[in-house]
Amino acid sequence: MRISFQQELDELEALLRVEGELVLRSLRGAVEAVCSQDVELADEVIAFDDDIDAQYFEVEQGIELLLARQTPVASDLRLVLALLKDNLHLERMGDLCTTIAKLTKLTKGLPPDETLLAGFKEMGERAEQMIRVAIRSLEQRDRVAAESLLELDELIDRANRRVVNRLLEIGHDLEVREWGLRMILVSRCLERIGDHAVDIGEQTAYLVTGEFREFTDASRQ
Amino acid sequence: MITTTGQASTIEPMSLAEIAREHGDENVASRESVFQVRDLAVSYSGNTAIREVGLDVLKNAITAFIGPSGCGKSTLIRCFNRMNDLVPGAKVDGEVLYHGKDLYAADVDPVEVRRRIGMVFQKPNPFPKSIYDNVAFGPRVLAMKDDLSERVEGALQQAALWDEVKDRLKESALGLSGGQQQRLCIARCLAVEPDVILMDEPASALDPISTTRIEDLMHELKRQYTIVIVTHNMQQAARVADMTAFFSVDVAPDGGRRTGILVEYDKTAKIFTTPADKRTEDYVTGRFG
Repeated sequence: MRISFQQELDELEALLRVEGELVLRSLRGAVEAVCSQDVELADEVIAFDDDIDAQYFEVEQGIELLLARQTPVASDLRLVLALLKDNLHLERMGDLCTTIAKLTKLTKGLPPDETLLAGFKEMGERAEQMIRVAIRSLEQRDRVAAESLLELDELIDRANRRVVNRLLEIGHDLEVREWGLRMILVSRCLERIGDHAVDIGEQTAYLVTGEFREFTDASRQ
Repeated sequence: MITTTGQASTIEPMSLAEIAREHGDENVASRESVFQVRDLAVSYSGNTAIREVGLDVLKNAITAFIGPSGCGKSTLIRCFNRMNDLVPGAKVDGEVLYHGKDLYAADVDPVEVRRRIGMVFQKPNPFPKSIYDNVAFGPRVLAMKDDLSERVEGALQQAALWDEVKDRLKESALGLSGGQQQRLCIARCLAVEPDVILMDEPASALDPISTTRIEDLMHELKRQYTIVIVTHNMQQAARVADMTAFFSVDVAPDGGRRTGILVEYDKTAKIFTTPADKRTEDYVTGRFG
């Protein structure tokens, strides 16, 4: 029963998965651009954000229409609310990738530090893994996988904290310092992408259990 | 939702304190029960229509009974004003307490019960009399001595109908629209100062605007009265009810006997957001009915 309603729900989830794939492409491009100081690639990442935004609007409009027409309740309502918030988290991830690309352009010609670049590559891979886990745990309604995101996020958070220490080690030269200060923001963007993936996991747990709770409290930050 | 006997579990009635503890709402626990139903079963000529019902109906709240056709909602609501007494072969077992007193005790007057516990039906049923005489009928029969016209006006005001009919009280009630006739039936009920108003699908025969007016009226009336409503319209239950009871049909393994059972009874918000029973979830999401 309610076949067309179920189809609409399935379509919305599919659109969200597509948005997730777009964000993954943007993330890979942004990390590659900053690690190889590739300004052209950075420009592509910036332009690509329009595709993510278009997908975001399509999901949001679909949710709006479904709420108006179908009056979902119980687990259907939780799913729609989770999709609404996840849509926003993915769109924000896209914006953060754009910020990384813009910072790459701003630091063109400045001397990079290979240790930090290696750190960003690792953070980028971790963030990519987290996005995949987040999307898959939603698709499979897997609360345990969703909760595993917290542990993955801790790795990114630690790497983010190491960036400042590294900059204190290398920041004697003016140009290196300028590069380093911009890279703090890149690190912060990658760390925030991880946080958004955790937020998607929290929505999955809410969808499955009917109760929303933060996986961690702010005092642990 | 149809289940086969063996899968259905006996529902232990949740006390108000248990509901309050579960939802962190101690105000619920402080509400008085108007009806307490314990292990109620109703049969017609030996066929059990509904069984093992236990719940409390709260004072000044709207309680909705929802569920598929044949699950015993109307049978149950008729127990609250002993309308089943008028059905040949009907038998009520178990307990229905009204303000702590056994509603089916030998010394209880069913007519007095029906004054205090009024009923509005699916199809508006005004008498073939004037608007005034429809509302005045009950008070006249009960020899209510105070100013009859004042009582009629008060009831029509409460039923949100006065402004539409005040200049034509002598006209036939049959000339009113469906929505107006239903509000007239509510006024007729209110004129004899009930304690409880039972409504068996009061808006199902009405247009959407009339339905909205009836629902708005329910919100107003519950300040003074306790309301129990049977409805097929889940969104209506979600809009108006404070508490919702979901009933289903239990089918015997041989596919024969069908009996109504109470599946879940809780605050409406819980029933429509995180129902405890999968059968409730399937019904409110429209997956089964």
